[in-house]
Amino acid sequence: MRSYLISLIVIAGLACLGLVACGDDDNGAAPEASTLQPAQAQDASGSVTWCIGKDTSGAFTAAVEAFNKENPNLNADLLELPESADLQREQQVQRLRAESSECDVLGMDVIWTAEYAAAGWLYDITPVVDQHEDEFIPSTVETVEYEGKKWALPYNTNAGFVYYRTDQVSQPPTTWEQVYEEAQKQDGLVYQGERYEGLTVGFLELLFSAGGSVLSEDGETVEIDSPEAREVLEFMGNGVKDGAVPKAVTTYEEESSRRAFEAGNATFMRNWPYAYALGKESAIADDFDIATFPGFAGNEGAGVVGGYNLGISAFSDNPEGSLAFAEFLVTPQVQKQAMEATLPATVTAVYKDPKVRKALPFAPELLKAVEQAEARPVSPVYTQISQAIYDNVFEILNGRISPDEAATTMSSQIEEALERF
Amino acid sequence: MAPGAASLHRRGHRSVFREERRLGAAMLTPALAVIALVAAYPIGYAVWLSLNEYSVITPGLSRFVGLDNYSEALGSSEFWDAMITTLVFTAASVGLELAIGLGMALVMHQAFRGRALLRAVVLVPWAILTVVTAITWRTIFEPELGFVNTMLTTLSLPGGDVVWLGERGYALGVMILADVWKTAPFMALLILAGLQGIPDELHDAAKVDGASTWQRFRSITLPLLVPAITVALIFRTLDAMRVFDLPYVLTKGANGTETLSLIAQEELVTNRNTGLGSALSVLTFLTVMGVSFLYIRFIGGNLRTLTEDEQ
Repeated sequence: MRSYLISLIVIAGLACLGLVACGDDDNGAAPEASTLQPAQAQDASGSVTWCIGKDTSGAFTAAVEAFNKENPNLNADLLELPESADLQREQQVQRLRAESSECDVLGMDVIWTAEYAAAGWLYDITPVVDQHEDEFIPSTVETVEYEGKKWALPYNTNAGFVYYRTDQVSQPPTTWEQVYEEAQKQDGLVYQGERYEGLTVGFLELLFSAGGSVLSEDGETVEIDSPEAREVLEFMGNGVKDGAVPKAVTTYEEESSRRAFEAGNATFMRNWPYAYALGKESAIADDFDIATFPGFAGNEGAGVVGGYNLGISAFSDNPEGSLAFAEFLVTPQVQKQAMEATLPATVTAVYKDPKVRKALPFAPELLKAVEQAEARPVSPVYTQISQAIYDNVFEILNGRISPDEAATTMSSQIEEALERF
Repeated sequence: MAPGAASLHRRGHRSVFREERRLGAAMLTPALAVIALVAAYPIGYAVWLSLNEYSVITPGLSRFVGLDNYSEALGSSEFWDAMITTLVFTAASVGLELAIGLGMALVMHQAFRGRALLRAVVLVPWAILTVVTAITWRTIFEPELGFVNTMLTTLSLPGGDVVWLGERGYALGVMILADVWKTAPFMALLILAGLQGIPDELHDAAKVDGASTWQRFRSITLPLLVPAITVALIFRTLDAMRVFDLPYVLTKGANGTETLSLIAQEELVTNRNTGLGSALSVLTFLTVMGVSFLYIRFIGGNLRTLTEDEQ
């Protein structure tokens, strides 16, 4: 009986393996991306589904409703993905790997664009983007470019700010060195120091300000093992060591740093603009202000572009309708309404609108912050690149490795990622 | 299975039993086929995936690499660190859960007013989703605004400035605490079921013979509880070895708190490194299987003698 059982299981197992082996005939090269022309959006009909993160601001639903009202021939639907960016990517990647046509328009974090484009999951929409190019803030268009083509329309953007306590600091800081020095004397600086994407952003903001870079222009060579990177690593490590930055930041994300700042536990905070409106409802409402990033190491300040792009899925059943919908989402009228719901617009004109200025008093600073921001490395293996960065910066914050070691390890790990099959 | 297994020991009537065995096997076939479909197929598929490398850049491209993924996994310090973390977590949390669960079960077994209510209340932590539990503990141990540090600072006790989730030892401690808080009641429930199966007559007889409470616990309760405890231990150990949600929420695996499941998920989902991720999953599977094998080998032996004694 036992031997019968075993043989039955073995046979079943082999049969499975056989099935799998037979089913796995998908070994072709990546499909050549097709190009969509602006004219194709005209006279589009049918329905499209927009897959983007949870509609916390209400702007997505409002845009879909406005679109459906204006376009009787087309029907747009919103499919809300989870709130966290990592989970949104998981959801989209699962569908795209299965070549599902469920999502037509993809709301992609700016850092996924190259990955999706390289995988052949997006339509090349260069002619469409070119037609709109002068309407967008230039740094946002950088995030949709990969291998000389443009793969998405920038939908909303983002850039970090320095929040400071006006009752402790009289003037907005002009250099990062000054921020750290003041922070050490007062109640410290909090930022996103957990081992995740937020830490990569924090590091890159300083690195870009210092004049350093991660990859060469063509994305082929790793340039992170540089004196600039070492300087930034040393600066960040010393910040924690000298007490300018509490050790607690190694467990902070956006929300936890915001709570610490609002509780009055910090003099400075690095955070996204969303924390402004919330801070104005907190106990320190009248005691803080925001400033664009100060300079570092004698250079002008620079930030990192955040936000979402709109790509058109290569597996969409209705690329024409998708294009019409995506173009609608970047019209000044829709962008303005999104901005009033706290999603920073990618279209420059919106920032000058008096109604927007009323809803977001710091709109001019926001525009400046986005203009001075740079795109994160555009690469299909961005996830791995970011991991190499935050893993090593995290070790620096914990004082476990030297800046020298961190820079060389980071560099070799990124090189490994670029050589991935 | 038990009567069939017992019959093997008997001699004679061979042909009758052979026929019966054949019939038994035939009747088992549909069930085995279902198991093969829902269990063996995914496992086989994972093994197949682990023998290939899948392109991260061009989805759909893959190449056969044999055991390369395994040698990469076994050669990385990440894997062994995760293995140690997982084993430490498992040993500590299951050990504590057993001790506390046994205590809770003994208390709940006593007759007193409100016993039914207590039994229900005790299960509340177990009914809460692990992710929710983890988020709660994370908030409690938040460095500046968390309950623990605020408490310590207010009472001017030492440790008010410790970043609990920012250091390996403490973070592991919080993980274990969160797990024990959540699953000790489950352990208690399984042991309680075992306790209720012990006939009162045995205790009454022992009392008549003048056995003390401790003697009755050592010689009656504990031995008769072994089957229930074994089942509870196997359940909990296998669960603890696959722990994912606690480190994912509490630390994201920072400071050496990565577990086997966490690194497998990271490779499979975040890095889309299907081959290596599957190899890590298969290795986790083999480790868990090895541990359950040891259980059945050493404690399961007791189980069998017990059931045979009963017959």
